[in-house]
Amino acid sequence: MNSRDHRRPAAFRLDDPHVVVTSPDEAPARPSGRATVLVTPEPEAAALPALLEQPGMRRRGPPWGKLFWSALAGLVALGFCLAVASLIESAFSRSDVLGFVSLALTLVAAVALAALTVREIAGLIRLNAVERLRAQAEGAIASDDREAARAVVRDLLAVEKAEPRLARARSQMQAHLGEIIDGADLVRLAERELMAPLDQDARRLVAAAAKRVSVVTAVSPRAAIDMAFVFISVVGLVRRLADLYGARPGAFGLLRLLRLTIAHLAVTGGMAASDSLIQQMLGHGVAAKLSARLGEGVLNGLLTARLGLAAIEVSRPLPFVALPQPTVGDLAGDLLRRRERADEPET
Amino acid sequence: MGPSTMTPNISTIVEESRLAAAAMVEYAGGLAHPTVRLGVTGLTRAGKTVFMTALVHNLLHGGRLPVFEALNSGRIARATLKPQPDDAVPRFDYEGHLRALVDERRWPESTRHLSELRLVIDYQSESARRRTLTLDIIDYPGEWLLDLPLLAKSYAEWSAETLALSRQEPRAALAEAWHAHLATVQPDDPEDEQAALKAARLFTDYLKACRDERYAMSLLPPGRFLMPGDLAGSPALTFSPLDLPRDNRAGAGPGSLWAMMKRRYDAYRHVVVRPFFRDHFARLDRQIVLVDALAAFNAGPAALRDLEGALVAILGCFRAGRRSWLSNMFRPRIDRILFAATKADHLHHVNHDRLERILGRMTERAIAQAEFAGASIDVVALAAVRATREAMVARGRDRLPSILGIPLAGEFAGRETFDGETEAAMFPGDLPDNPEALFCRAGGAFKGLTTADARETDYRFLRFRPPLPDVDASGRPHLPHIRLDRALQFLLGDRLA
Repeated sequence: MNSRDHRRPAAFRLDDPHVVVTSPDEAPARPSGRATVLVTPEPEAAALPALLEQPGMRRRGPPWGKLFWSALAGLVALGFCLAVASLIESAFSRSDVLGFVSLALTLVAAVALAALTVREIAGLIRLNAVERLRAQAEGAIASDDREAARAVVRDLLAVEKAEPRLARARSQMQAHLGEIIDGADLVRLAERELMAPLDQDARRLVAAAAKRVSVVTAVSPRAAIDMAFVFISVVGLVRRLADLYGARPGAFGLLRLLRLTIAHLAVTGGMAASDSLIQQMLGHGVAAKLSARLGEGVLNGLLTARLGLAAIEVSRPLPFVALPQPTVGDLAGDLLRRRERADEPET
Repeated sequence: MGPSTMTPNISTIVEESRLAAAAMVEYAGGLAHPTVRLGVTGLTRAGKTVFMTALVHNLLHGGRLPVFEALNSGRIARATLKPQPDDAVPRFDYEGHLRALVDERRWPESTRHLSELRLVIDYQSESARRRTLTLDIIDYPGEWLLDLPLLAKSYAEWSAETLALSRQEPRAALAEAWHAHLATVQPDDPEDEQAALKAARLFTDYLKACRDERYAMSLLPPGRFLMPGDLAGSPALTFSPLDLPRDNRAGAGPGSLWAMMKRRYDAYRHVVVRPFFRDHFARLDRQIVLVDALAAFNAGPAALRDLEGALVAILGCFRAGRRSWLSNMFRPRIDRILFAATKADHLHHVNHDRLERILGRMTERAIAQAEFAGASIDVVALAAVRATREAMVARGRDRLPSILGIPLAGEFAGRETFDGETEAAMFPGDLPDNPEALFCRAGGAFKGLTTADARETDYRFLRFRPPLPDVDASGRPHLPHIRLDRALQFLLGDRLA
């Protein structure tokens, strides 16, 4: 071993006058006077780690598309502002009262718009944080890196801090942070402690939405009505799931989440085909034999369930590792059985 | 190397069929009451007794084991101590050892013989069925494991190997007196009890000297020479390797010293090694091997290489492999082996991964073999009872990741000798990132107590007193630990699923 870069072992008695013990909260005093050695006991939880760097998007040429839309949006906004300004002007030209009222209304609208924008941005940031957290958790499990896992759990606690039911689990996790647990184990532990109750609720939400959709489809007189109903239920479901897992997205966040959900469904659809497609065909086949409307209802319900599952995966801050991932079978098995049973008296 | 590669002969076949019969009886019993026999072993001072005490205590009283899923998720309803199945085996004195740890704050007496404890765990399986798992924990000295390879070696082979090993540095210096005596006896001398007694005594002295803290050698069979128990002074322990000139094989006929030594060596194998193998070792399902790598770091590169040799020999003994109902019935196998570098609390946690890598490097060949056979093996740095806290020491511009604790009375580091009452911060030295740096054969990879003065060593790991007991909500002492939960999850997690 190279003696230059190897530090020799050293022992320091704490009752030695040259050794000073400081507490971790105090400012790190310079060793001064007779004290030559400073001992700082470490708090049980390790210090905050540096934030992991996000791999940036690669830029492909000048962003013409973005430029176009930004410029267009700017123009529209300018036109709108001008229109409002001319409206206020013409109001003033008619009467002062009218002018002040319109000015006040404009100001109120502007303030509300600003507040809305802030909320939307906050929602998007939270959504981003959840996505980043999931990627970091996957990384921490793969690398078994203790510091990365601690950072993940700390971020997770921040994301879930608004969930009252997790108060006990949160405080337990906080205590576990100080113990010496390996990276992958820590993330798995966090998943079991913090995600398990949420997963159950999420499952219930998806199952309830699927059931509702299938019933409404079965009784609705027009296809257009059930299409609209499916759409509304799915949007509501995605929103509630995101709220449940702590992302709390705004309207734009919701749009983005919907897009991600549908994209995710497209990606996993192929992989899930082996089990769920068969289930759908089987379910549809059995139900269709009983009645065409009921069959459609079941099909729509299954579709909602699958969308809901995709939404769970997109909005859950940790990947499914320690806990089982819910499948369409878990949720819709119940649905199928119910429909068949409900149908029996008719036939 | 292991008994599994013995040349088949009548005694082997008889032995195997006895094992198969015993296995079938146990299999039938296991159908009604699922049982896991967990072997806990390790060389002297590796921390077997402390590990077992901590394990039993944490299971009985539901300690803080977040990674041990079955306990943490609340599926384990309770664990209770039950009378053990083997009536001829001493019981593991859990209560006494716990008292020593918690009340007297001293480390319990070390393992000198085999002992056993039975725990019954009531739990709810993941499919919500109520079940019980019987856990038999068997604690035995690792030195006995090093005897197992003797089953496959003749006296001549063993003599030659042992002598060759004793002529390497630093062992040669310790074996001087014994070598001098060997030079005065000839294998074909007529048998002589006094010469044999003297040779055995000097051989034992040499083995004991190798075990000293300064040398910390590990590969020291036969194990009973160091822990004779009730066989002390019997002929089965009164032999020593003899130097056999190559051309003299025919000369050592009946009635010679060589023949007497050979007979006693065979008696040792027959009376000591084989019963242990048959009655205890061959029946294990899971095994944890505790390794005190830090003592080897204290002593130096030779001790580290010796430890590696011992670990390879130990792994060679296990009947590792995937379990199937057929193997369970006729030839039980060990399907999970955990190598644990104990006393991880003597290191700052930034060094734990490196310690695991070093242990992994020492066992990698054996691990590859066992994994090929279908067994799973893991390596972990743990502390069954955590005796220290961590601290950062600032000395000048250096930041030394250190540990805080009360060193045992008589421990020394540099110029300091400790009295067992003073708290001290200890920086033991940085373990290298790349384990190969420790094993490179050219010259001394690092300086240890074997070759250097205590002030000049590259590593110094002190032994610390047990921690002040922390009392949990129900008033029971709580033993802090490092990664005991991960070890339990690996060893028992799947059986409690």
